[in-house]
Amino acid sequence: MSNDDNSSPHSQLSSHVFENLLDSIIVDIASECHRISILGLDCNLEGEEEELRLSAQARRRVADSSNSGETNSKHVVDIFGQTHPAIANEIFECMNCGRSIMAGRFAPHLEKCMGKGRKARLKSTRSSTTQNRHSRGNPVSVYAPYSNRAANGTADEYANGSLEES
Amino acid sequence: MSKRNLTYTNPEPCSHLAEYKQNHSSRGYNSLQPSLKTNPNGRTTIKTSQSQIPRCGSCSADEGRLYFCLICSSIHCPDHAILHSQVGHAIAVDVDRAELFCCVCNDQVYDPDFDNAVMHKQMKLKKNPQNGKLETPDKKRRRKVAILERETEATEGVSCFPWGLRGLNNLGSTCFMNSVLQAMLHTPPLRNYFLNDRHNREICQRRRRIGRRRGPPEMSCLACDVDAVFLAAFSGDRTPYSPARFLHSWWQHAANLASYEQQDAHEFFISMLDRIHEKEQSTLQPKVVGGDCHCVAHRVFSGVLRSDVTCTVCGFTSTTYDPCVDISLDLDPRNIASTLTGCLDLFTRPEKLGPDQKLHCEHCGLRQDSLKQMSIKRLPSVLCFHVKRFEHSSARRTSKKVDQYLQFPFSLDMTPYLSSSVIRNRFGNRIFAFEGDDACKAPSEFEVFAVVTHTGKLESGHYVTYVRLRNEWYKCDDAWVTRVSEAAVRASQGYLMYYVQKMLYCRGGEEMNCMATSPRHCCL
Repeated sequence: MSNDDNSSPHSQLSSHVFENLLDSIIVDIASECHRISILGLDCNLEGEEEELRLSAQARRRVADSSNSGETNSKHVVDIFGQTHPAIANEIFECMNCGRSIMAGRFAPHLEKCMGKGRKARLKSTRSSTTQNRHSRGNPVSVYAPYSNRAANGTADEYANGSLEES
Repeated sequence: MSKRNLTYTNPEPCSHLAEYKQNHSSRGYNSLQPSLKTNPNGRTTIKTSQSQIPRCGSCSADEGRLYFCLICSSIHCPDHAILHSQVGHAIAVDVDRAELFCCVCNDQVYDPDFDNAVMHKQMKLKKNPQNGKLETPDKKRRRKVAILERETEATEGVSCFPWGLRGLNNLGSTCFMNSVLQAMLHTPPLRNYFLNDRHNREICQRRRRIGRRRGPPEMSCLACDVDAVFLAAFSGDRTPYSPARFLHSWWQHAANLASYEQQDAHEFFISMLDRIHEKEQSTLQPKVVGGDCHCVAHRVFSGVLRSDVTCTVCGFTSTTYDPCVDISLDLDPRNIASTLTGCLDLFTRPEKLGPDQKLHCEHCGLRQDSLKQMSIKRLPSVLCFHVKRFEHSSARRTSKKVDQYLQFPFSLDMTPYLSSSVIRNRFGNRIFAFEGDDACKAPSEFEVFAVVTHTGKLESGHYVTYVRLRNEWYKCDDAWVTRVSEAAVRASQGYLMYYVQKMLYCRGGEEMNCMATSPRHCCL
C-alpha cells in the first residue's frame, strides 16, 4: 500500500484491515505446511519434484528432435523388421456372411452386414415412420411381425429380418 | 528419504514441551476442551468468551497472533507471550488455529496428546453417521493377489522381444479399439488371468450351449473373445493380428456403439468392462451378497469412491460410497502447466455446491448450502485415469478437444487422495487414529504401464498406445510396433493412463520373455 501524503484515515484503516487479513492467511498456510512437513506427510515431495523435472526435460528433448524431423511411424519398419501397408491387407472370412474381406475394410463391411450403424438405423426409423403413417390406429406395425414390443418405435428391426438384441 | 511405515513421524518435543508434559501431563489440554470451537469445515479455534474477542492481557492488542497460556489461561500477543514465557509459562496455544506454540523456541510444536484432545472434542460435537459396517481388512483380496504373483514368477529364457508384443490391424477407424486392447493385453493382473486360463473357453461354450436350449439364441461371450485376443498376442507370432472376431462380438453386445466411425476409446473401455462383467456375473457362484463383484473386470479395475457432503451451517456430513472402474479428471482451463497430481488435487478439493444444489441437512432439518468432497476409499489393483479432453455440449452438436499438455509421473503415490488422508487433512492433519485407518499402510504406490494418447482433431484423430515392458517403452500404432524413448512418452498427450499397484508391477512377470513353448505352460 503506497504511503500517500493525503491518505485518508478511511483508506488507512482499509489497508490496515487488508494487511491483517493477508498476514493471517500467510501464517495460516505456513502453520499448515509446517505441520505437514514436521509430521512427514509430504515425504514424497522429492520424488514428485524429480518427476516434474524429468517431464520438463523430456518435453524439451522431444521438441528438439521433432525439429530435426523424426516420428511418424507409418511407412517405417517396426521392431520385428516388418513393413505394413497403410490399409491392412490381410484377408479373412466375415463371420457374419462368410465373404472374404480385406482387414482394413472389415469394419465398414461388417456394419452393413450386421445392419448396424447410423445409416442402417436411419433407414429403419424412416421405414417404420412411413409404416406408422399408413397403419394409423393399428398397434402392431406390419413391418415387424416378430416384434414382441410395442410398435412405438422402440423395436428396431433390420432389413435382414433379425431383431436387434440389446 | 526413508520410506515411512507409520502414517506420521512422531515428532520429538522440544525441552520446554517435554518439561510441561512432565509437570502437567494432559491436564491443560483437557481443561482447554470447553474453549475449543470447531467450524463446520473442520477448522478448530480457541474461543474463551461468547461475547468478547480475545485480547492480549498486557496490552489489549486484538490483532495478529494471540496465544493462550496452558498453565494460567491468560492470552498474550507475540511480544508479551515471550515475556510471559520467562516466568516459566512456555507452552501456549495459537488461538486462531488451535496449534501448540512454544514461546521460548518461538515455533509451532506437536504433541499427539494435544491433537487427541482436540479431536475428541470434535468427535463429541459432530454427529458422524455410521456408514455401514466398519472396514475389515480385505484378506481375501490379498490372498488372490498373492496367487497371481506366485504364478507369474519370471522363468529363465532367451531374451528377445517382450512377450505379448504384437501389432493390431486397423479394421477401418478402429484405432480406438486397438489402443485399449493393447493396454489390456499388458495389464498385469488381466494378462495373468487370461494366460492362466481362468476363463476357459470350452467350459464357457458348454455352459452357453446348455443355456441355448431355453431362451433367445445365445451370442458369443466377450470374455471368450478377449481370451482369444490374448492367445493371439502371446502366441509368439509377430505379424499384425486382426481382432475381427472381437469386433463382431463387441458389436453384438454393444449395439448402440456399433457403427463404422471413430469412437471414444474411453467409452469403448467402459463398454468392454461392462460386457465382461455381464457375462462373468451370470456364471459366478455363489452370487455376490451385498459386497464386491468378483468378475475379473471389477477385481482388476474396481475401486471405491467416497463422497462427503457437509452442511456449511452445522457441519453435519452425509457420506456415500460408490464403486468406480476409472477416475475421470477435468483439465484445469486456467492452469497452463497442469499435472496429473494437480488434477487429483482438484478432484479431492472441497467443492461448494451451487444454490440450486442445496442438500437437505438432517441435523438442521432444512436445505442448506453444502460442501462436497470426493476421496478414494479403496484403490483398485489397476487405476485408469481418464483425462476429459473431449468437451461435448448438451446437444452434442458442438464438441471440442482440449489439447493441453498434462504432466504425469511414472511412479505415483496415491496416499494424499485416500479418504483417510483427505479426512485427516480436513481436520487439520491432527495426530489421531481415524476410523478406517489400516494398521499397516494400504498399498498406494503405483507404476504407469500403458498410456493411450489421442492426436489430431476430434473427428479425425488417431489413438496410439505406449506400453511399458521390461522398463522399455513401445509404441503400438495399430499394426506398427516401434520402440520409443521414455522422453517421448513423458512428453505425450495422455488421454487414458493406466497405473498398476507397484508390487504387482515388480513381481508381475515384467521379466517375461518370448518362449518357444506354448504360453499356457509358462505361467504355471
